[in-house]
Amino acid sequence: MSVFRRLRKPPTLELDDIQATLLRARPEPYYGTHAILEITDAAAGRELLRRLAPQVPSAARWDDPRPSWLALALSYRGLVALGLPEASLASFPANFRAGMAARSERLRDTGPNAPRNWEYPFGTSRVHIAVSIYADSQNDWRAEMAAYEQQLRGLAGVQLLSHQDFGADGFNVFGYRDGFSQPVVEGSGAETLPGDGRPIKAGEFVLGYDSESGRPLPVPSPDVLGRNGTYVVFRKYHSHVAAFNKYLRYNAGSEQDRELLAAKLVGRWRSGAPLALAPERDEPALGEDPSRINDFDYADDPRGLKTPLGSHIRRMNPRATKLEVLSDVNIRRIIRRGTSYGEPLPPTVLRDDRKERGLDFIALGARAIDNVEFLQSEWVNSGNFMGLGKEKDPMISLQDKGSYFTVPGSPPRRVQGIQSFNTLQGGEYFFMPSLSAIRWLSEQS
Amino acid sequence: MSDIDPHEKFQNLPAAIREKVDSALSDAKIGLKLMVGLALADREETAKHAVTTAGRVGAKSGEVSELTAIMPLKADGAARLRKFFSLVGGNQAGAGQVGTLHNMRFVFLDNDTKLLFATAYDGEWDPYIDDFATKIPEFMDYLFSNVEGWPGITSPEVKDFIVAYQLPAEGWFVAHPDLTVTEANRLKRQDAAVQNFLTALN
Repeated sequence: MSVFRRLRKPPTLELDDIQATLLRARPEPYYGTHAILEITDAAAGRELLRRLAPQVPSAARWDDPRPSWLALALSYRGLVALGLPEASLASFPANFRAGMAARSERLRDTGPNAPRNWEYPFGTSRVHIAVSIYADSQNDWRAEMAAYEQQLRGLAGVQLLSHQDFGADGFNVFGYRDGFSQPVVEGSGAETLPGDGRPIKAGEFVLGYDSESGRPLPVPSPDVLGRNGTYVVFRKYHSHVAAFNKYLRYNAGSEQDRELLAAKLVGRWRSGAPLALAPERDEPALGEDPSRINDFDYADDPRGLKTPLGSHIRRMNPRATKLEVLSDVNIRRIIRRGTSYGEPLPPTVLRDDRKERGLDFIALGARAIDNVEFLQSEWVNSGNFMGLGKEKDPMISLQDKGSYFTVPGSPPRRVQGIQSFNTLQGGEYFFMPSLSAIRWLSEQS
Repeated sequence: MSDIDPHEKFQNLPAAIREKVDSALSDAKIGLKLMVGLALADREETAKHAVTTAGRVGAKSGEVSELTAIMPLKADGAARLRKFFSLVGGNQAGAGQVGTLHNMRFVFLDNDTKLLFATAYDGEWDPYIDDFATKIPEFMDYLFSNVEGWPGITSPEVKDFIVAYQLPAEGWFVAHPDLTVTEANRLKRQDAAVQNFLTALN
């Protein structure tokens, strides 16, 4: 399935100043790397930005295929390490300045997900720059990597702390198609596909434009630094696929029943076909069709008889679901640029092979940090907003002992023994500067 | 039971609890000391009603939090608010749509120069301020624009503004700490179904 939308209208955003990753869809298949760098010398950090700037493409013609590209973002500690003036540092929002580890209470990152259990370098004050390289072939990936490593060479004041490769064919390690549901950004020129809903105000995704409230969200100062930038939330998860497979095996007798339960948890069959349109059995053709894969809004399913109220996709994007708590679903949208790493584990494998596999959750948006904190506390690790009490998201929450998942029906089915199928390995909040901001940052002294 | 000497009952409590009660309530009569000591000794009940923090300011018991704020009113603020409250008969039923508000009250203090706003609500208050700003901005601004310095519900300063006037409760008790408004609604629906069933059964 092509995940590319077409450019239909003349864009009104300053696309040639916005980083490509904001609007450019992940290719299929995709290859790439997330690298974390530390700046130990401000001048070297600025020099790295100066060198990498030409390698960061803009979002202009975001619909044209491109073999590879690079995205660059800075943590608050990174901005400090670059020697940004205090007035500018203070203009960033408090949760960004605190960093993800310090926000663990609000994010419900406790127990196995707590920062003390994270992989190095996450949770330390050394995570300064995140560089992501996306490519549509192995060769282009290597070429882009070589070019980036060339720029890194000979810069003693910048250290590479971690380097994580990713890649998949459009299906995650659990075997589900992913990455295809995105909000339509007003002013991007993107076509609206059936089920997308109305375009969302650009200021929800890019700083400096009107948001859904009718005015721009706060822009860091000076304007050249903040405008056309956005925030990035990066969270690396390890996926317990064997535990997921066992849960299905234990709770469903036949392969058909297992796949139905697997679909009830997520809200889609592994093919991507939504339960809303294919409630009884998988229709793989739906998953292949961008004009149908999202063409539903749950208005005909208030009790969740087709798509459970507590299923993963209905929680993350409730569409027209009548929520129990006054909420504006249009301000909770995020641009998702998540990537899978490691080999998928087929549903027949019930034994954990201890290999590294999982998902890098990557959310972009002017409210991305607020929204991930909101989602984690309100929509992932609680069921209150859907009238589900303490029931949690079946895929990405931190489950308590004795948790269950409810499949609505007559009678409803309570599927006991659900566990955390993804464990957080670490993460950080980043600011993704515009192209002119990268240049501006590289010229400070 | 009642004729057992309260001093003797108090002595039967664990020493650590007795010491705590004795030092904090040295001037209290034995009846009160015993009552407090027994409550502290009931671990399950104490744990159920444990008070935590509701985000930046305020106390939280289970799922239910408190917010108390005393804000300075503009010169005609109390008069405008009185008109509004008398129009709706003091009835804020529309607030039910918020879905997290257990109750709220508006009280004028100090000769109509200050507004006391107090509410019990589910969870933490600031995650939903952004939703108020896009879903019910006119209502929020009409109500609170009578407060001196109100920055407007869509202002990035609004959360800090509220926090600045918030007075954290020193004591906070909720009868059913785990019962959110949403859960109460669900239990009422379930009870109605059970009552209908029983009626139909007979």
